[in-house]
Amino acid sequence: MTTPTPPERRGIFTPELLDRCISCGFCLPACPTYAVTRDEASSPRGRISLMRALETGQLSDGDPTLTEQASFCLGCRACEPVCPAGVRYGALLEEWRDHQWTGQRTPWLVRPLTWAVNRRWRIRLAGLTRRHARARTDHAGPHLMLGCVERLLFPGVSRAVARLRPELDIPTGQGCCGALHAHNGQLDRGRRLARELGDQLPGTIVTTAGGCAAHLSDVLGRDRVVELSEYLTRVGVPPLTPLTVDGRRARVAVQDSCHLRNGMGVFREPRDLVSRVADLVELPHASTCCGAAGSYSVLRPRDSRRVLDPKLAEIDQAGVDFVVVVNPGCQRQLATGLRRSGSPVRVLHLAELLDRATTG
Amino acid sequence: MTDTAPAPADGVVDDRLLAELTGIVGAAHVRYADGELVPFAHDATPLFHHRPDVVVFPESTEQVAAVLRLATERRVPVVPRGAGSNLCAATVPLRGGIVLVLTRMDRILEISAEELLAVAQPGVTNSALATAAASHGLLFAPDPGSRTVATVGGNVATCAGGLRGLKYGVTRNYVLGLEVVLATGEVIRTGGRLWKDVAGYDLTRLLTGSEGTLGVITEVTMALLPMPPASGAGVAYFPSLADAGRAVTGIVTGGLLPATLEFLDQKCIGAVEDYARLGLRRDAGALLLFGDDGPDDVVRRNLARMAERCTDSGALDVVVAGEVTQAEALFEARRCSLPALSRLAPVTVLEDVCVPRPRIAQMVDQIDRIADQHGVLVCTFGHAGDGNLHPTACIDLADGDAEARVGRFFDEVFRSALALGGTITGEHGVGAAKLPHLQARLGRAQMDLLRRLKTAFDPAGILNPGKVGS
Repeated sequence: MTTPTPPERRGIFTPELLDRCISCGFCLPACPTYAVTRDEASSPRGRISLMRALETGQLSDGDPTLTEQASFCLGCRACEPVCPAGVRYGALLEEWRDHQWTGQRTPWLVRPLTWAVNRRWRIRLAGLTRRHARARTDHAGPHLMLGCVERLLFPGVSRAVARLRPELDIPTGQGCCGALHAHNGQLDRGRRLARELGDQLPGTIVTTAGGCAAHLSDVLGRDRVVELSEYLTRVGVPPLTPLTVDGRRARVAVQDSCHLRNGMGVFREPRDLVSRVADLVELPHASTCCGAAGSYSVLRPRDSRRVLDPKLAEIDQAGVDFVVVVNPGCQRQLATGLRRSGSPVRVLHLAELLDRATTG
Repeated sequence: MTDTAPAPADGVVDDRLLAELTGIVGAAHVRYADGELVPFAHDATPLFHHRPDVVVFPESTEQVAAVLRLATERRVPVVPRGAGSNLCAATVPLRGGIVLVLTRMDRILEISAEELLAVAQPGVTNSALATAAASHGLLFAPDPGSRTVATVGGNVATCAGGLRGLKYGVTRNYVLGLEVVLATGEVIRTGGRLWKDVAGYDLTRLLTGSEGTLGVITEVTMALLPMPPASGAGVAYFPSLADAGRAVTGIVTGGLLPATLEFLDQKCIGAVEDYARLGLRRDAGALLLFGDDGPDDVVRRNLARMAERCTDSGALDVVVAGEVTQAEALFEARRCSLPALSRLAPVTVLEDVCVPRPRIAQMVDQIDRIADQHGVLVCTFGHAGDGNLHPTACIDLADGDAEARVGRFFDEVFRSALALGGTITGEHGVGAAKLPHLQARLGRAQMDLLRRLKTAFDPAGILNPGKVGS
């Protein structure tokens, strides 16, 4: 009837992290994959039950449900702010995938993805063809982190930041922050890359990517890392003129970055900044994942779209001109989705929106 | 055991049964791989685990009926489950068998402003129904702490309580009618849409709180109320729980019936503050959260009078929340008391005794004394207005005989509550967790009657065996 004290632990998980959950289920309504399936196994509480079964050897490494659920989870961490017990689910997921995704059990695309950004020279080589910002200042002021995905896919974002805040130092020889690795079963490498980046960019690091910001601050400490909207709130922006569309004030929605909101508690700042140049329209589910979820949209495209579709419908309903994002994954996901659905709504990074509103 | 006990449901889940279940609900909705069963081995109750043999997700009353017919024929246990947020191990499949998850049946079928009622499938969450009712200017009163998670079907099956019990009562006061599938697969409709209906035994009330042992609820008709135009809350801090208890007496005897009267002891205040960061006073021995709803001027006057009573009873400090958002934040903080306590130790075991209102302070004193005796860290919070207390033991199972000590602690707490004219569970239910204590509350004759009732509903004894009525 009642189980005695759990048997031997295998040491896959940090005990304090795994013991925190009391299975109250308060996380269920916050979980996008539970919303899709209504199945306990694809909820945070259910996944923690699976982790516990793995830890105590009740389930073996190759158990198909373990494999499926470790990869089905978006890793959006929406369960964390709603957890009164303070379970650090994101950290548990990293430990889970670190164990789960070894050898044959690694989703095959993870390896080329992480390989591409393992080395600084690979990122730099790829970046040569892209017009991201390059600005060496003569002082050691705060550094702008370019981000390996953003500098390749959205080089305009760092150029916009450089115009908004010319004091930022933007060295091109910077590597990947390792978030991609940490979230995809290469925890040690992910942490090492973050520390290396911390050495390359000493002092304050300003980032335009919520996912990178959360990972960097986990490894380097919250005080070293400032996400762009936080930075602009702190140091200010150049004079702005409200944006207009067809002679009226532009209507702009904000899509949160999951890790920025759930991991770092930053969500007011982007909205405040948007409100200064446009009418802010709050999407009903702005705080829930868009399905990009780092590499998820590449690894599980069908599930990614199942999560995205209701969001596209919400954006369509909201009657906005722009959706503002603060993370390149969300930018790619929403831009692709909206284009595919023939929507006239444009997706801009916060920096790009503010840059457009800068006078003179 | 007497001769009235149902026969054991000792049938096994074999390939043939799995194939038949698949035929009923479709392959995607039948799960039986090892890993798929793990999350259904427990609910929100600590210390109780047992894996089912198969998990089935029906989407209609017909499918539920077909599953139950089959299960009765094969004598296989069936445990109905909503969100699994109950706190008495009501949905732990102690004998294995089928866990029947009703979360796919999550449609709100009707909200009638004219008849003041809602008709819903069992898998709708409490919050979703409350939100839908609110959009029609109506209040769905049952308000358990787990309302964002818990399903309405689960609420009814456990007769859940909540934070509004004093003025509004509990779930049973709002159940007008049920559609229920009996173990044999027969579908019955009890009660209905009527406020007055005394045709026959009140089966609606019997099924409410029956914890899945008499039938599977497939549709509920719930009474709604006009939404009160305003609400407000305040917080009073006291040197001790005894002082807070006096304030409660002062409030209730002073002609006030507040919507909410909740309390936290000092340890709970600390844990909740760690999570919610509302600026609660950690140095106080007890916190009383009081609230009311109604017309704006009435709410304001009542809150002022409650604040006065608190001051008269020796409150250190009384703060009436200025805005609705502030009041909501206080209630949210109170709702998360239990999970917030888990910050103190790896396992939190909570109980649910209820005593006559004037005995609250006495009960709390006894809880603290018994906790000291057994060397258990216990934090207590609860519904002061209802006499309903949640002493919560925070333990580390790795710590030697902690589990045994907690067991002895609660045994004694139950005895004390009964001696004070109270009960072993006010709102969480009996489930597997409190079944051993049920006879002390009900006596032999009533226990036998429960078993005979159970047999009448469930001749093969397949429904949630090992719980009430078994």
